[in-house]
Amino acid sequence: NCGSALTKMSRRYDSRTTIFSPEGRLYQVEYAMEAIGNAGSAIGILSKDGVVLVGEKKVTSKLLQTSTSTEKMYKIDDHVACAVAGIMSDANILINTARVQAQRYTYAYQEPMPVEQLVQSLCDTKQGYTQFGGLRPFGVSFLFAGWDKNYGFQLYMSDPSGNYSGWKAAAIGANNQAAQSMLKQDYKDEITREEAVQLALKVLSKTMDSTSLTSEKLELAEVFLTPSGNVKYQVCSSDSLSKLLLKFGVTQPAAETS
Amino acid sequence: MSIFEYNGSALVAMVGKNCFAIASDRRLGVQLQTIATDFQRISKIHDRLFLGLSGLATDAQTLYQRLVFRHKLYQLREERDMKPETFANLVSAILYEKRFGPYFCQPVIAGLGDEDKPFICTMDSIGAKELAKDFVVAGTASESLYGACESMFKEDMEPEELFETVSQALLSSVDRDCLSGWGGHVYVVTPTEVKERILKGRMD
Repeated sequence: NCGSALTKMSRRYDSRTTIFSPEGRLYQVEYAMEAIGNAGSAIGILSKDGVVLVGEKKVTSKLLQTSTSTEKMYKIDDHVACAVAGIMSDANILINTARVQAQRYTYAYQEPMPVEQLVQSLCDTKQGYTQFGGLRPFGVSFLFAGWDKNYGFQLYMSDPSGNYSGWKAAAIGANNQAAQSMLKQDYKDEITREEAVQLALKVLSKTMDSTSLTSEKLELAEVFLTPSGNVKYQVCSSDSLSKLLLKFGVTQPAAETS
Repeated sequence: MSIFEYNGSALVAMVGKNCFAIASDRRLGVQLQTIATDFQRISKIHDRLFLGLSGLATDAQTLYQRLVFRHKLYQLREERDMKPETFANLVSAILYEKRFGPYFCQPVIAGLGDEDKPFICTMDSIGAKELAKDFVVAGTASESLYGACESMFKEDMEPEELFETVSQALLSSVDRDCLSGWGGHVYVVTPTEVKERILKGRMD
């Protein structure tokens, strides 16, 4: 909705990312956020025993070659994963950058990169594209979910400006403001991972544009600790997701055919 | 003394029936002085791929860390583990990068490839690959190991017999080498499990 507030005056300050407008705004960054506002939504919820990420798949077509790869969720390292919203090709570049940064840290220090440091490092890369080089910013927002030994489970949200902050629950992409206010109402501090999954699916079902919710339109992933104490990132299978949607009463069961 | 003999090492990998074994000694020395008797020379890359590095210990550690870096990125991008043949090519390429200032290591790679077929190979310090169908050896005890393996090896050994063979070959060879020994570390890998065993030999 900041798009509608732009006046004709702004056209003079649009073309270069690296300059401020007279009102002190960076228009290219704001336009990037507009692009993300049209993309498939993603929600992240922090619980005391894990972090849950749910994403809405915008590209659903019978012609699409199904594969095991995910469209919204990506693993960055064994202990960090992210959900994306925005321009996929931009996201791929940043995900690769994040993966290499995480491995460089591990190579140097022989331990996993702390989650906030990884987020900060990636955001520093994004910020560079708003200050120098004359290149446009990345049209992607991320939700990072991870665990490290210093701060336990964490959830971070970052946007094209390179700004980031830690959240208990956050939403990016289409209808993110509606999702965010719903999360604000229903989130409780001592929420468990299972309750977080339920809340995420409920909020997403209410804010998604489509009429019926099936497991083909969603992706669900969790970051948690296994009983042996190792961090695990797991993407929910299509079947388990369908069962969960039924269990939480968030989808119509398959119609009986005679 | 050659730089390859500075720390002392013994490595052997052998092919069995739908399984492989990879074994090393446990001594870490600084020329004639023994520093550690529990040194790990074999590392897991993934559940079906093991890498042993003989030679200079610092180069072995650094090379291993670089390979973990590359393999982790491969796993993230390809969404699968690396095949042993591919990994061997990667190691060879990384070693050749340092052609005129090499890592003083001799790697031994052992893994289960497609259809659970065992794969072993070794290479020199600048990446010349040597694929073998039966066994590969490396380290200061390599000459003794060649002889021991050549006489003790049989084709299509089951995991238990393979373990016995590899262990006997390793222990008898390191006993003839003053720079390696202080026990053994043997991994026997089948499609279903990895068995890790420690051997007690002559502790000198």
